[in-house]
Amino acid sequence: MLTLEGIQVSFGGVTALRNVTMNVAESETVGLVGPNGAGKTTLFNVISGVVHPVAGRLSFRGIPLLKEPEYKRARMGIGRSFQIPQPLHQCTVRENLIVAQRFGAGRRDESRIDEILDLLKLAHKADRDAVTELALTEHKALEVGKALATDPSLLLLDEVLAGLETAGKRAFMQTLGEVRDRFKLAMIVIEHDIPTISTLCPRVVVLNFGELIADGTPEAVFRDPQVIRSYTGEAVA
Amino acid sequence: MFELTLQALFSGLLAGGYYATVAVGLALVFGTMRVINLAHGELVLLAAYVAYAAEARYGLNPVLCIPMALVVVCVSSAIVYALLARIEEDREINSLILTFGLGIILTNLILMTWAADIHSTTNAWFLDSVVIADTLFAMRSEVVFFVGGLVLMAAVHLWLSRSWQGRAVRALSSNRNAAKLMGVDPRKTEILSFLVAGALSTFAGIAIYTGKTIFPALGHIITVKAFIITVLAGMGSIPGVLIGAVMIGVIESFTVTFAAASLQELAGMVLFLVVLFVAPSGLFGGKKALSR
Amino acid sequence: MNPRILIPILVAAYLMVPLAFQSNDYILGLIVAALTIAGIAVAWALLGNLGGMVSFGHAAFFGVGSYTSAVLTMKAGFPVFAGLLMGGIGAAIASVATMPALRLKGPYFALAILAYAHIFQILSVQMEGITGGAGGLLSIPRFPTVLGVDFGGKLGGYFIIVTVVILAALAYDAIRRSTWGLALKAMHDSELATRVIGVPSTQLKAVMLVVSAFITGVVGAFNAHFINFLEPDYAFSGTWTVLPIAAAIFGGYRTVWGPVLGALVIYLFDQLLFKEILPHGHQLVLGALMAGMVLWSPGGLVPGLIRRRKGGGAHAHA
Repeated sequence: MLTLEGIQVSFGGVTALRNVTMNVAESETVGLVGPNGAGKTTLFNVISGVVHPVAGRLSFRGIPLLKEPEYKRARMGIGRSFQIPQPLHQCTVRENLIVAQRFGAGRRDESRIDEILDLLKLAHKADRDAVTELALTEHKALEVGKALATDPSLLLLDEVLAGLETAGKRAFMQTLGEVRDRFKLAMIVIEHDIPTISTLCPRVVVLNFGELIADGTPEAVFRDPQVIRSYTGEAVA
Repeated sequence: MFELTLQALFSGLLAGGYYATVAVGLALVFGTMRVINLAHGELVLLAAYVAYAAEARYGLNPVLCIPMALVVVCVSSAIVYALLARIEEDREINSLILTFGLGIILTNLILMTWAADIHSTTNAWFLDSVVIADTLFAMRSEVVFFVGGLVLMAAVHLWLSRSWQGRAVRALSSNRNAAKLMGVDPRKTEILSFLVAGALSTFAGIAIYTGKTIFPALGHIITVKAFIITVLAGMGSIPGVLIGAVMIGVIESFTVTFAAASLQELAGMVLFLVVLFVAPSGLFGGKKALSR
Repeated sequence: MNPRILIPILVAAYLMVPLAFQSNDYILGLIVAALTIAGIAVAWALLGNLGGMVSFGHAAFFGVGSYTSAVLTMKAGFPVFAGLLMGGIGAAIASVATMPALRLKGPYFALAILAYAHIFQILSVQMEGITGGAGGLLSIPRFPTVLGVDFGGKLGGYFIIVTVVILAALAYDAIRRSTWGLALKAMHDSELATRVIGVPSTQLKAVMLVVSAFITGVVGAFNAHFINFLEPDYAFSGTWTVLPIAAAIFGGYRTVWGPVLGALVIYLFDQLLFKEILPHGHQLVLGALMAGMVLWSPGGLVPGLIRRRKGGGAHAHA
């Protein structure tokens, strides 16, 4: 479904992503891990169109993406949530979803919006201001909700569990599982929490210093010496 | 033909000098407060009119009017600052409208006090022409104030780069919060930048009074021109402002000499738009004009 | 549009004012002028509030609209009412030329549009063959008589402009209440977030610019046919920028009817009162109003009144 070939991203003198090549199949759930600064969010930025690579190819269901602006990619079915929640200002929670649905999915479907609100446990806050009246968990939920409202086929989740405590994490993870199963989505999930990733994702991909160093099942990947070294900080080959 | 070109270049260069002093003042205020003072041109004009009033009433030499004009302009600048500081929300838009309104008030106050007639200095020494290198003509005032302007700008540049307050100004411009954490008092620094801008404006006002003609609507024209120059140069670069100002001065001069006087403003406007679209950070980098 | 607001306005506009002033050409003339300002004010507020872009050069669109209609009716035989439409279209096309400016931040955009206004003005002086140059155009056709109603007179002109203004306000309101309005509101502070969910933010802003220019162009065209005379300094005069801004700020540019109310109040006070007291500096009051409003009641007059009626606390939302 999603194909990246030789993606390279540089900012000034720094190479954030180097020769990244990977595929994601329909309805597949892939975990994306790596130490801080490895380039995970940058990868999401490339896929969603916020950042442009200096080299490489990117396509979604056979359609080349690099020339398409962010909003077109959203309409094509790529949903993105940000690590630091970015709700739509001056709008209620419901309005956030309405705008996402109207522009990202091209339709108005109140029942779907209610479904999303229920699934993400946001129904009680539906008419509150999205910026000022939500708790952290709810902000994170709204991030996912906005992306869901666009009728995506691929969901990019950037550290949606960060900042939550254990019980909250577990609950949200369950919600994510429900979301995935209900809407038959492919997902790429960035997380630091290894048990979470291992449970949620049958496949894990590891980035380190902008390069893809491992791709496989969680068990295999987390035993890979290179991966362990990247996390513990010993000299990388 | 060659002589004409050279003369046009020379006149443009001199004009660029005054434009630069005005533009630097505007850029200073924008740097520290992130606010474009649309009343800036009117403050310059105020200095010019004070000089006119002093000369007409007491026959004072325009240069001697500087202290008086300085006081008037600095007090006015402080008032503008005080009002700007009261804005709480939507700073960008509201400060634009506030200063726009203040500019209108100033222009009309000038209009009411001194009427719409044009004025210029009657001091013969300044009006006399000088000849440089046997071919280039200029009014003595143009040359004097050009040199004075360069000296003043060099002083400001040195002040910004070497002195403690100057560094504070630059710190506040580049990262407001970090600067505050380092002990920079934003209010004092902002007022300081307004006052320095006021001094520059006073100088420019007197220069315009002696070298050109003044009339109430000139205030707005000056503001727009200064703004155009800061965009050309890219906010944050004083040498850039000087070069941008000279570019405008020269282009205007060429347009007047070789095309038509009525197209003078047009040249500047077109250059402005071209630069905005082609090189939005200005020709010399600095703060960006783009919203993303 | 809330019927409780719309109906009284329609009644006032189409019944009360004509009945009260139908034989007083002087007052009608003032009202028409005030409504002309109101039309531009609504267009300006639409761009500022929905588009998030403050413009200091709306005179550009006014002038282009005026000239387009005048020239088409005089040289190409267009009927006058069609000219109104063409004035709007002409200004809309001119706004396409200003679109590169949409990428710019607030003050830069505001002044870029001002630069366009100057350029269009100078162009209209230079293109003598079409625009009559600095001398301008005289005897621009008046509005014709349709179905027995003489639209060429003061009362007829009033009906036209009041309809234009009301339609403009309704359009502003319709956009504001739609999903587009929501997206536009969100774009001010969270543009990236909107883009990532599928909102073509730059295009939406561009559409607001075109709509604002169109309305202003129609108003400009109206003015040309109402006073039957046009010249560059007049058509592109800064007054067509400053007065609407003052009106919109004063009345409250985040509301739909605020700019209209503001225009009526400011213009009528300016002409009937301030001009008498300060014949030379009366624009000073406008400046003071703008500055004062920003400092003490940034929402403007209308939200202030609403707040008082609701007993305070109601935050004037866009």
